[in-house]
Amino acid sequence: MSAATARIVRVALPVPIPQLFDYKAEDVIEEDVGRCVRVPFGRGEKSGLIVALPEGSEIDPSRLKSVLAIQREVSALPPDWLDLVRFAARYYHAPLGEMVAIALPPDLRRAKVVSSERMDPFLEASTSGREAVAATRRASRASRLVAELIESGPLRRSQARALPSARALADALRRGWIVPASERDALGQIGERPALTPAQARVIAQVEAAEGGFDCWLLQGVTGSGKTEVYLRLAEHRLGAGQQVLMLVPEIALTPQLESRVAGRFPGANVVSLHSGMAQGARSRGYVQALEGRADIVLGTRMAVFVPLPRLGLILVDEEHDASYKQQEGVRYSARDLAIWRARQRAVPIVLGSATPSLESWLNVRNERYRGLRLDERARAERLPVVRCIDTRRERLDEGLGQVLQAAIAERLERREQSLVFLNRRGYAPVLACAACGWVSRCPHCSANLVVHLADGRQRCHHCGCDGSLPRACPVCGNADIQPFGRGTQRIEARLAELFPNARVLRVDRDSARTPGQWQALLERISTGQADILIGTQMMAKGHDFPALTLVGVIGADAALHAADFRAPERLFQQLMQVGGRAGRAHLPGEVLIQTELPAHPLYQALSRHDFDGFAAAELAQRRTAGFPPYSHQAMLRADAPQLDDAREFLAHARRLALELASEGVRVYDPVPMRLTRLARRERAQLLVEADERGCLQEFLARWIDRLWQQRTSRDLRWQIDVDPLEV
Amino acid sequence: MAEPGLNQLLLEATLIELQPLRRTPAGVPVVGCSLGHRSKQVEAGGEREVTVELQALAIGEIANVLGLAAPGMTIRATGFLAAKSLRSRTPVLHLSNIEFLEGTENGFQAQVKVQEEG
Repeated sequence: MSAATARIVRVALPVPIPQLFDYKAEDVIEEDVGRCVRVPFGRGEKSGLIVALPEGSEIDPSRLKSVLAIQREVSALPPDWLDLVRFAARYYHAPLGEMVAIALPPDLRRAKVVSSERMDPFLEASTSGREAVAATRRASRASRLVAELIESGPLRRSQARALPSARALADALRRGWIVPASERDALGQIGERPALTPAQARVIAQVEAAEGGFDCWLLQGVTGSGKTEVYLRLAEHRLGAGQQVLMLVPEIALTPQLESRVAGRFPGANVVSLHSGMAQGARSRGYVQALEGRADIVLGTRMAVFVPLPRLGLILVDEEHDASYKQQEGVRYSARDLAIWRARQRAVPIVLGSATPSLESWLNVRNERYRGLRLDERARAERLPVVRCIDTRRERLDEGLGQVLQAAIAERLERREQSLVFLNRRGYAPVLACAACGWVSRCPHCSANLVVHLADGRQRCHHCGCDGSLPRACPVCGNADIQPFGRGTQRIEARLAELFPNARVLRVDRDSARTPGQWQALLERISTGQADILIGTQMMAKGHDFPALTLVGVIGADAALHAADFRAPERLFQQLMQVGGRAGRAHLPGEVLIQTELPAHPLYQALSRHDFDGFAAAELAQRRTAGFPPYSHQAMLRADAPQLDDAREFLAHARRLALELASEGVRVYDPVPMRLTRLARRERAQLLVEADERGCLQEFLARWIDRLWQQRTSRDLRWQIDVDPLEV
Repeated sequence: MAEPGLNQLLLEATLIELQPLRRTPAGVPVVGCSLGHRSKQVEAGGEREVTVELQALAIGEIANVLGLAAPGMTIRATGFLAAKSLRSRTPVLHLSNIEFLEGTENGFQAQVKVQEEG
């Protein structure tokens, strides 16, 4: 085909319509598939991605509009990437254009020019630099710097700036004494490695002995067993073979710590971080580096699962059970599940790691769909912490704190060790109420209460962000003596400060660590021993080691045992095991005290034995009886509108369509209001569909969602489908 | 809110117990106390002895005044009655005025006047 002939270009655009759009372009070539384009759309312009160059279009060629520009400065996204995004769109029943929009960083999607220039190149002494050092009698500053660099070996520019004679760096570069190092040489460098425990060595050998190709491993290792070291060793092998490693982590808050550990281990590797806390430019740059094969390790949160990696050799998913791998708005994809699909597609191994795997993954090991790896002993600490349940039924608690816990904290203070009180509720108190008339501080926009934040004199809705000053008196009856009811971290913090006036009490929750900077500062204070008693939410539970922390007191955990969601016990167990794992690292034994009114509950009993397998087996037995996942597969259709009735009516209609389409084996439930019915002035309802076979459900969903797209709905109504919902 | 109606109590009483000053979330000071009263009153044509105890609450500026007092002091208290809460209908005296009386170390007043109208 000659270059002058116009060809049809099929483009995925970020619009909520399950449709691709055809345009024409003069100079388009096969290599443009996977490139971003600007196209006219309606009265304006939009950016999209070329997904195909079809021979014909359903639209009359004379009516096709021309693309405005094709972004050719950046390599096209490869076919395997397009396959991944197509699969995700198909599985989660989202328009391809929306899936593409999620999978690409915004700058790239808008077809902007994104430079992938190395911002921080490796530097080494050149031959002339070495000669200069050898020749000089009286060292100049530049030659001193070259000598320092020769001694240290190649360094990144940022590292070289920390050398004693760094002020001469510009001078040395200009003279050509210092030059950018060739990447491949630098890659061989490995930082200091701790010795492996026998268990770690065994696990690594198991993975390395596999014949290559796709394998899904589940690394189940107790807290402190050194899972990260296993990841790093496995990555080392792959990097050595010239491959790329994708490492997913659940939280932005965890990436800086892990990033510095990875960068320290592989000083020569180009480590690219990707998470939503980063500036857009940096994110796009990292993405392009990965796309062009110049990133060696991509470390990121769930969005990183979509990074194109031409030399991919290994995928690692840390804390694989973590709920944050599931996107909770827009297209509700699971990064962990897509990572597994991707590993299979690329025929590379994937290692899922956790101390408390999701029951789905754990069952897959039992069923021999995944291969199990175990680390049952801690790498450094002698023993796992002792877990004890404290029966609080007959005790009057002092702001939630029982005598045993108070005594244990006092003991730690005397020994100059740290304690953590874990309460997964931030704020001062979950509600403000008037005892005289019964008024409670309800959120005007949600079916939830406004939480008292005494520290800054505000009341806030934790669901919609509604924020107001604390009322001086009850708005209904005028009583000034309105009182906070219940307990949050701020209240415990205040009480701990009263009970232990000589201790330094530090609160760690989303309010005290609003920015990554604040979070780092808090971590710094804890690890340098500038705090004695910590009071924290689940932020404290994840991945951070505090050597002097020897006591974890859990308060207010029972509520989760009464929750309606069938996954609530699983989540509680994971959370408590994780937070308990903070107690006792290095040489100090740890203790975990759980205040409960249900000390005999099997969950707490399993926890005190550190028996995740026992808990998982019992929990799965219940799920099997009830027909809950993983013994069935679910999808949730959710609708929201200003009025609940409209949402319900739409779902009732959707249900009728579902019953027409449903094959045998698909169970369609009734529409019900969501637990938090009203959120940000919208009222919400949901409709659950379920099947025993995933394929059966998917086949039904495809036809059903297709029909739903065709329905005319009022502008006020929104709906979305959630495949494999985490909350029902 | 209910119609304005008569609700005033004037009482000479001894401070039996004084709770520490606390603040509402908006920062309004609150002091709770219990008041003991003892007097002679005329009833059914004859004199009789009367003792009564009552919970009282000072909210706002007056809480700072009450906060300075000590148990054993005698005060002339003015205020209105309100139920303790929705659940407990026990009356609580909400103080609007406090006068400290002198020479009352024993906490006993021979002459007490109970006004029905303020």
